[in-house]
Amino acid sequence: MSSSSFPTSRFPFAAGAGAPGGGGGGGGGGSSVRPWGSSGGTSVSSSGKRIQKELLDLNASDCSAGPKGDNLYHWLSTIIGPQGSPYEGGIFFLDIVFPPDYPFKPPMVTFKTRIYHCNVDSAGKVHLDILKDGWSPAFTISKVLLAIKDIIGNPDPYTPLVMSISRQYLTDRTKHDEIAAEWTMRFAR
Amino acid sequence: MASDGHPPEPGKEEVATTASGPGARDLDDPQFMCCVCLDILYKPVVISCGHMSCFWCVHKAMHIFQESHCAVCRQPFKHFPSICQLMHHLLRKLDPADYKRREEEVLEEEKRIEMYSPQIIEFLNSKNNVGNDADNRNEDSKTRPPQEVSLNGSVVDDHSKKIKLEDVSCPLCKEMLYQPAVLNCGHVYCVSCLPSLTEEALKCDVCGSLHPGCFPNVCLDLDHFLEEYFPAEYESRGQKVQSKKGQCNREGSSSGTSSAKGSSRAQHDDDLLNIHIGVGCDSCGEYPIHGKRYKCKDCTELIGFDLCGACYESSLKLPGRFNQQHTPDHRMELDNSALLGRVHQDLLMMEGGVIAPGAMVQIVFENQGMGDNGEGPGEAAIQEPVDVPGAMLHIAVDGQEMEDNGQEDDQEA
Repeated sequence: MSSSSFPTSRFPFAAGAGAPGGGGGGGGGGSSVRPWGSSGGTSVSSSGKRIQKELLDLNASDCSAGPKGDNLYHWLSTIIGPQGSPYEGGIFFLDIVFPPDYPFKPPMVTFKTRIYHCNVDSAGKVHLDILKDGWSPAFTISKVLLAIKDIIGNPDPYTPLVMSISRQYLTDRTKHDEIAAEWTMRFAR
Repeated sequence: MASDGHPPEPGKEEVATTASGPGARDLDDPQFMCCVCLDILYKPVVISCGHMSCFWCVHKAMHIFQESHCAVCRQPFKHFPSICQLMHHLLRKLDPADYKRREEEVLEEEKRIEMYSPQIIEFLNSKNNVGNDADNRNEDSKTRPPQEVSLNGSVVDDHSKKIKLEDVSCPLCKEMLYQPAVLNCGHVYCVSCLPSLTEEALKCDVCGSLHPGCFPNVCLDLDHFLEEYFPAEYESRGQKVQSKKGQCNREGSSSGTSSAKGSSRAQHDDDLLNIHIGVGCDSCGEYPIHGKRYKCKDCTELIGFDLCGACYESSLKLPGRFNQQHTPDHRMELDNSALLGRVHQDLLMMEGGVIAPGAMVQIVFENQGMGDNGEGPGEAAIQEPVDVPGAMLHIAVDGQEMEDNGQEDDQEA
């Protein structure tokens, strides 16, 4: 068996679908993803089926997610800032782009709402192990959102994306929380 | 699969099945769900950690040049196991209609990618079942509700059950499976029977193939099912096994697993360059192949037929893993076109890079078309630091070119 000899031109996916980081947020993924139903045949591809299944049993509390338009591979999600954290009361929008070979590759998740957080950079990129090397096809988007919700409430200053925030988180926690709450008030309401 | 915060774990599913009560005999509960496609398992493959997924779900999730990890527990494995036929027949009997639906869906997908999973011949419990199986298959998708199909069963006291005891028996002790463990070849044994197979390596009693890697763990999904489906038999089997073996079931197996991990890791770093990217052995299932790779010159299937060095030399001739029409008189030849070390060299030449000693090389494969197979890396799919006496170098390869290189080489040879 040799899977490196797969036909390479079957689907004209733009290569950008998996761009590391998905940098600029919104502009990035949209064009490179196959809209559902356009897989040529009568059926939706296996990745599409799986995404549809996830959509059906998505019931994570405090998180909601769904396709942005008629593109099954591009979702929008909202996470409510966890209680007791400086992000309480904020509503954070996230952009989720599924790669065509989902669930064997992780979805790309970016914050669309600005957040003062050491694991989220100014472009909205999230540092989360399970969205990179730690990905397993057994994860679903609701688990990913739960993990993101968890990291909002419990930042990990030891693997930061924004050094200055993580340093402040470790040295001057009150100041950090103050700014975070202020940003939440300003951007996430 | 409940969409709660964790990857599914055996403990969880146990709770789920008991909650559904003993009356729930069928597949309405999610115990035979594939955690990758979130659908009913189809042509299930059991990895040596005891977790199950569909044939394609396991294959697509395997890493093309590193050891792979179980989607549920992340235990590393290097061999793509064969389909567990016992589970396949079990699922087919439990819910013929749904299984048929899955079969059609998967076949459609297979036609699209022009690669096929193995055809499974109905041979389980040869005598009294063959006829029934054939009948069932024809009727599955049509009009007959599943309950009626099961009435074909011949054993009197199991009249209401779709699964009979002999469907789930161990080939060694000939009794009902108790704490079943599945070998790489897909055959199922009681975990307590397995040690009797051990000489230097686990060798399957049914097909004669060696079980590579660590001692298999109990397949808990199947175990829970048996416990629920045959409560009385399960209990008596349990007592028998316990009394026979004073020291109770092989917990030692799990410790063996962990000790094997360290060594495999060290080995993995050593011969990374001897890996054939994305090529698996059709006999033992090693994926990717380390060391020598033999490719069939006569198989016309897209997926090809390959053997690792050990399987090429062994006398055991098994059919391909992807329904290839390979026969023993096909010509085989050594093939290095997908060797990582070689691809890597070609890249260095392409880049014309000058190399300083002691640095890391990062290779990023980029192969657009493979995306739909799930197999191949989309962009940035593989980022493997390779320890090479080379400089800091970032190589981006287009899969197409790589493939071309390989073919040219073939022609030269």
